[in-house]
Amino acid sequence: MMSIDFASQKSPLQQLDGRTKLIALMSIFVLALLFSNPLYALGLLVLVLVIWWIGRLPWKLIKNIMQFLLVIALIILVVQVFFYPGKTNLLQISPPIKFIGFSGYITLEGIMFGVAMVLRLVVIMIVAPLMVMTTPLPEFMVALVKLKVPYRFAFIMTTALSLLPSIQNHAAIIQQAQLCRGITDFETKNLLTKLRAMAGLLVPLILGTFRDSQTLDVAMSSRAFGAPVKRTFLLESHLSAVDYIILVITFLLLVAGIYLRIRGYGAL
Amino acid sequence: MSDNEIIRCQGLHFSYPNGMEALKDINLTITQGEYVAFVGQNGSGKTTLVKHFNGLLKPTQGSIHVFGEETRDKKVSALARKVGYVFQNPDDMLFCSSVEEEVAYGPTMLGFAVAEIKEKVESILQELGLQTQRETHPFALSLGDRQRLAVACVLSLDPEVFAFDEPTTGQDYFGGESIMEVIDQLHAKGKTILIITHDMPLVAEHAQRVVVMNQGQIALEGTPKEVFSQTNYLRTLSLRSPQVTRWAQNLGLEGQTVLDIKEMVTWLEEKYLPAPVQGKGGLA
Amino acid sequence: MQSIVEFRAVTFSYPRADKPAIKDISFSLYPGEFSAMIGPTGAGKSTLCYCFNGVVPQLFSGTLNGTVIVSGCDTCQMDIPVLAQHVGLVVQNARTQLFNVTVLQEVGFGCENLGWPRQKIQKRVEEALAFVGLSGYESRQPSALSGGQQQRVAIACVLAMDPEILVLDEPTSELDPIGSEQVMEVIARLNRELGKTIFMVTHDMEFVAKYASRVLVLNECCLMEDGIPQDIFGKEDLLRAARIRPPQVCEVSQQLRRHGYSIPRIPISLEEGVETLRRLHDER
Repeated sequence: MMSIDFASQKSPLQQLDGRTKLIALMSIFVLALLFSNPLYALGLLVLVLVIWWIGRLPWKLIKNIMQFLLVIALIILVVQVFFYPGKTNLLQISPPIKFIGFSGYITLEGIMFGVAMVLRLVVIMIVAPLMVMTTPLPEFMVALVKLKVPYRFAFIMTTALSLLPSIQNHAAIIQQAQLCRGITDFETKNLLTKLRAMAGLLVPLILGTFRDSQTLDVAMSSRAFGAPVKRTFLLESHLSAVDYIILVITFLLLVAGIYLRIRGYGAL
Repeated sequence: MSDNEIIRCQGLHFSYPNGMEALKDINLTITQGEYVAFVGQNGSGKTTLVKHFNGLLKPTQGSIHVFGEETRDKKVSALARKVGYVFQNPDDMLFCSSVEEEVAYGPTMLGFAVAEIKEKVESILQELGLQTQRETHPFALSLGDRQRLAVACVLSLDPEVFAFDEPTTGQDYFGGESIMEVIDQLHAKGKTILIITHDMPLVAEHAQRVVVMNQGQIALEGTPKEVFSQTNYLRTLSLRSPQVTRWAQNLGLEGQTVLDIKEMVTWLEEKYLPAPVQGKGGLA
Repeated sequence: MQSIVEFRAVTFSYPRADKPAIKDISFSLYPGEFSAMIGPTGAGKSTLCYCFNGVVPQLFSGTLNGTVIVSGCDTCQMDIPVLAQHVGLVVQNARTQLFNVTVLQEVGFGCENLGWPRQKIQKRVEEALAFVGLSGYESRQPSALSGGQQQRVAIACVLAMDPEILVLDEPTSELDPIGSEQVMEVIARLNRELGKTIFMVTHDMEFVAKYASRVLVLNECCLMEDGIPQDIFGKEDLLRAARIRPPQVCEVSQQLRRHGYSIPRIPISLEEGVETLRRLHDER
């Protein structure tokens, strides 16, 4: 399973305010949704990878994400190749199947659209860890609150993220316990068996998580969570000159992107 | 390996993937039918060591032989039939919808005949006092019963060795006694018992051999009497012998270590206290 | 002296439960007292702890009869955030009550929620961490600490809000010996040096004998006994019914007394035990 490490690496991205990072990455997300031309999508991917490099984040995680997406990517490609109403026919592989809208040909546009979708998906899947790994959770929380996200919601999001490692730990222990019951499913190479074994982890995991979350509820309430006063935040965050510059660049990119899209560029 | 040896560690080292050294140069032999307690602070390596006995962890250096074979290439699920491990939290081991199903799971998976499975499940349920709850959902049982169920599930695989991770921690006195009764019964049947624990009275009253771990190494080893006689050393390891042991030592007990209440009363009456004044017992 | 906590005929039932979790509980705590609550698992001790700061009945739905008054506030009328400034509640498992990324964030969490000025929060956090012996741990990750350290952080979290009363539900039951001793030392100092009123649920009778000036016995949802440790540990039938084993010093002394030895006052701690027996020995 992918493990997301919250200890930020030493990089220029650390100095940016959480709000800047959040806004910049959300904008990339929006741009990824806008463009269906593989070239534009590729451009965005390059941009995101450059940011990843600046943040000195591990390339191994990119590899993990790619592996994780492999099956989905293939499915997307195949679907688009068959169903996208393209014009430039390349290769006929069967007679037309009217009721699903398949012309019988693999089209250039189909392939391009498929590729673009995959690239966009990769960009979106990289943006999330990019945010999480360059921003310590308390900073992330403060950024959300300063952007007027209600505290309760911001709290739920960040706490869920911070509890993920302990849930992963528990899952590992349950897996060990089941191995000790003689269950061989975890140790096979068969993917289907492995999936079935993972499903067997769910009940004890969910039960344990539920119990723990009840205790958490008590602990939080006992520390005045939800008190009807204006909450103080120990962590201060200010926008520096660099932050403003990045925000302006982001804004320009976003405007440019929307403008291009309206004018018909960036789509197939 | 001699006939009776079932576990042998030679020069065992273990480091976690992040580089942390958890076990250093462990040399240990366990023979059939022993009742061994592993004690030490959290982080001393006791759980890490015992997890090597059933292959959950594999040594990074050195070797460990279980029933004559190295564990390195063995699967945990295979070793589970020789060395059973009962986790501290029984809920981590249970996943079926009834007690009967849980106990039948192991043998079913191993391909036993239906009639044989039925017989096995019956006898195990009887042995652990769970017959009346066979239809109950595991999570509806009390903690004590869930613990017994976890033991039953491990028992259904018929291992020769049973390892228990903190069986009495977090429970009241009765709950602790109850599970220790189960464990003692298993020992009486000839099983080898390994217990990881902080509970010193448990160790004094049940174990035949104590292995004291400290910072990844075996710091002290011997019978409970031998180990608990070394009060000063134990203190440096931040371990506390049972209250009666310390009491007797404070009173100047010579050459003998008191392990439990019975021994204490005997020693006091025979060696330390004057004879009681007849008829004047108790309150002044 | 005016009581600081008062339970008046408190009965609470969880929804869909066929019997109450606690029944007809009445007692008062006085400022500066160190009280321990003992009893078998499932007797309702945790539920009772939750009554102190309004978690029951405000967070957990159910039917509450009777009244709980804490520092003059009725726990049914006052909001939990207000009560949290009078009562600090620390639950059993240290790991699950810590959910922030740094110790600083964790300890400051309560004060942040109360909207205190930043400088005041920083000062309170510093003082709380210093008191529990964890100065300098501000940027550490709570989940990476040892059990004993985690429990001390949990204590610091509630201490930072400066409540007069601290309620601790089995603070040491999942810790190793050294962690337990460190946590108990902190709790004792909270009482000795800061005059906090302590209410602690525990299974460790040695700790009860060593630190508590008052013991309440909860069994089958009802308050069975309320008195000083010396009296409570002398009541063998009560303890047996409540599945409690008194400190070994007590048990031995009681047996000696039954065999005719003159022991006017049953010792409950190691020190008292040594003194009592030395006296008897010297009477030779």
